[in-house]
Amino acid sequence: MAVKVKVGLIGALDMLKFKNMSKVREAAIQAAPAKEITADYAVNNNAKALHPDFQKVVVTEIIDHPGADAKTLVLRAADGGKLAYFRAGEYLSLKLKIGQSYVSRPYSISSSPKEALAGKYEVTVRTNPGGFAADYLLNEVKVGDEFLCSAPQGNFYYEELRDPEHIVALAGGSGITPFLSMAKAIADGTEDFKLTILFGSRTEEQILFKEELDALAENDKINVVHVLSDEEKEGYEHGFITADLVKKYASEDYSVFICGPEAMYRFLEGELPKLGLPRKNIRRELLGVTKKIAAHPDFPQECVGATVQITVRQGEVECVIPASCEEPILVAVERAGIIAPSRCRSGECGWCRSKVISGTFFAPPEHEGRRYSDKETGYIHPCATFPTSDLILEVPGEYHG
Amino acid sequence: MSKHYDIVVVGAGNAGLSAALHCAKEGKKVLLIEQHNLPGGCATSFVRGRFEFEPSLHELCDIGTAEDPAEIRQMMEEYGVHVDWKEVPDCFRIISKYSDGTPMDVTMPSGKEPFLAKMEEYVPGTSKKMREYFELLEETMAGTAYISNSNGHADSNVLKEKYPNLLRTGAYPVKKVWDAMKLPQKCQDIMSTYWGYLGIDMERMAFIHYCNMFMKYVTRAAYIPAHTSHEISNKMVERFRELGGDVWYNCRAEEFLFNGDRLCGVKTSMGTIECDYVLANINPDIIYAKMMPKDLIPEREKKLSAARNHNYSARMYTVYVGLNKTAEELGIKYYCIFMADTADSTKEYKNILGGYETNNFTIFLCNNITNPEASPEGTSIGFFTSMGNPDEWGNLAQEDYVAYKNKYAKKFIRELKDRAGIDIEPYIEEICVASPWTFARYLGTPEGSVYGYETAEWDGMMARMMMLSSDYPIKGLRPIGAAGPRGDGYSSAYVCGRLMARLALKDLREEGGQQ
Repeated sequence: MAVKVKVGLIGALDMLKFKNMSKVREAAIQAAPAKEITADYAVNNNAKALHPDFQKVVVTEIIDHPGADAKTLVLRAADGGKLAYFRAGEYLSLKLKIGQSYVSRPYSISSSPKEALAGKYEVTVRTNPGGFAADYLLNEVKVGDEFLCSAPQGNFYYEELRDPEHIVALAGGSGITPFLSMAKAIADGTEDFKLTILFGSRTEEQILFKEELDALAENDKINVVHVLSDEEKEGYEHGFITADLVKKYASEDYSVFICGPEAMYRFLEGELPKLGLPRKNIRRELLGVTKKIAAHPDFPQECVGATVQITVRQGEVECVIPASCEEPILVAVERAGIIAPSRCRSGECGWCRSKVISGTFFAPPEHEGRRYSDKETGYIHPCATFPTSDLILEVPGEYHG
Repeated sequence: MSKHYDIVVVGAGNAGLSAALHCAKEGKKVLLIEQHNLPGGCATSFVRGRFEFEPSLHELCDIGTAEDPAEIRQMMEEYGVHVDWKEVPDCFRIISKYSDGTPMDVTMPSGKEPFLAKMEEYVPGTSKKMREYFELLEETMAGTAYISNSNGHADSNVLKEKYPNLLRTGAYPVKKVWDAMKLPQKCQDIMSTYWGYLGIDMERMAFIHYCNMFMKYVTRAAYIPAHTSHEISNKMVERFRELGGDVWYNCRAEEFLFNGDRLCGVKTSMGTIECDYVLANINPDIIYAKMMPKDLIPEREKKLSAARNHNYSARMYTVYVGLNKTAEELGIKYYCIFMADTADSTKEYKNILGGYETNNFTIFLCNNITNPEASPEGTSIGFFTSMGNPDEWGNLAQEDYVAYKNKYAKKFIRELKDRAGIDIEPYIEEICVASPWTFARYLGTPEGSVYGYETAEWDGMMARMMMLSSDYPIKGLRPIGAAGPRGDGYSSAYVCGRLMARLALKDLREEGGQQ
């Protein structure tokens, strides 16, 4: 080339310098002390404390809510220390061993984030007909029992960077729990936004956390409106939570946050469009899939009532298990005593991401949370996917101590 | 112990993926284990609402066209990995100040001639100098390729004859070479823009390293995958499976097992695995401090670690936004906008390390400009990238974390509005903020760094490459990844994985020969 570039004063020395790069490097290495190598980093320790693989908790108290057929479990860190901090609205995935099955269940945390720093979470479990884990938690679990739970999870929280300052919460039954946590966080100064809770219950007697909620509503930023479906009473709204009711309590700029039973979501599907809100102003917490998948318009009818076999591979272990086409694949895996990863159980978080090696399945579009490339290459979220033939499935491991 | 593997690759980061693919393609029985539930490390994606976010990749510079593929496209095609690559339309827009303090708002196209023409427009009278400079870059690139392909055994006569300028400039930092060539300061300022991609200022960054990246971006254009970098990682894993490889997710390597001074297995959270060789996509400090017997660590390795003194490069800070308006509606015209207080990289690096008060450095990317299908119709998707320092994120309490990371996000969103006139705030449908905590959580790297050790001064890429056979002399175990000889970035990691896999296979052959 025409150009001759010289950086140093004498070009030849540059060549030497180039050739000497390894000598210079070796000299720098040899000049350092041969001390023990460490790898302890504050940033990593912080990350681990906020997002541990799992946490061991002990039930220290069980609070009965007789009218509402529910119980609150007070959980403390088994080692007496802190629990991972969270954003009000997040949930825990409880890991339970029931009989021979290892199952997980997501429960929104109903206590304030501040209480986690003092080593306490609260979750509330409501009777659920045929609810395998709910029955266990309500009837079997006693003070002193220990189990594992995930770090706090989820995206159902107030986000100042995104949300208007006013949140209208639509809650049904035990769906009140994330909003109770949010209200507590507002009251203790952790969060700063205006929260209006429209809380649907059947009767006054069945209102969960009525006293706590009414006390929290003393705060200027918190408003609680009880909506009774089965009872007409003064001081209460009557009927279902409708678009008109939301409008009555909403301000000009607000977002709707929804958490409740399946029937409430179905009813709201007809109501929400009437609010004329952009998509960004409507958020739902699902924590579960429909129990009536056979009624889904896209579910293959030949699979109604059918059973299949799933060959599950996890690391070096392989086993063949029976499964019903009408239940999520994860349920069959858990029933067989396999410890598989799962958290949200609604297809959203992707923690159960598994590979279908062969076979067919039905993944309802309303629970579609998969990555584009995963959909193309046969990955599923077993918590929200139903088998429609025999399957070979590869599931990841789970950290469980 | 049960099943036996020839090679276990620990960590499905970019280097782990290429290493695993390479070994499987060479007919080895390979197990790939990954502590997370999906592959890629940084090269992944996550879903929020109707958006799938790219977490880290700005652009890949080693792709080239299908007809004239560059190194990474070629490598992927050789492995049988077919990614849907989308070409990035321009190099960058930078809104900052020149070193002399005057305002700078420059948009550079890709392609050598358009780049040179635009440079002449911004800094008149410089085209002769710039052409000379490009000649130097071309020679340096060719020379580096020669050295890279020689596996640490470059012939100095060949170097002297064919790449004399490489030898003359190679040992110097970028700034020294620029000054020696008397490149006008404004040209230097414009060409400094990519410095953050290597995480080292121009006064300390090895010329060879920067030159290679810069040239590839400018002359070969940059590319992104159509469906986030998860598409790359996932397709690599699928191909690896086709080649007979096994993959265990949510499986953490806990300890490397030795028979005498030779590795013989890995203890993992899913059981103990017997194997002949491990390629570990893990920072060497962590391997030595936590994963193997202390008495097997050679004294020189302790010295190497001490000399590096935990001097890790960039710790990333990122804000991901899903917007309910299109890029056009929002007035976003360029894929990549750099915003900084000064084009002087030494000063700007200090600003970044100064924490919140002084760090105004951010890069905003809008994926839809390169790939209109990056998000659903009527929406757009993008992310801000900046860097953080380990102290500001190390000294933060859990309960202050969200407020602190949001404070930065607000600042960068405001900066985009004030500097580039793009107001996204009312249209944010989804937003997520990742900090060094997030990267530490998912990658397990020291301090959440994504770039390994700083490739500065004595420890530059070329010096590391020349000393491949001296570093990490543990029998049956080689660390791979960003902390390796090739330094940081997607391309470097892929190339590093392949290089280390080749060396591992060579080690195994030689050992086999001895038996």
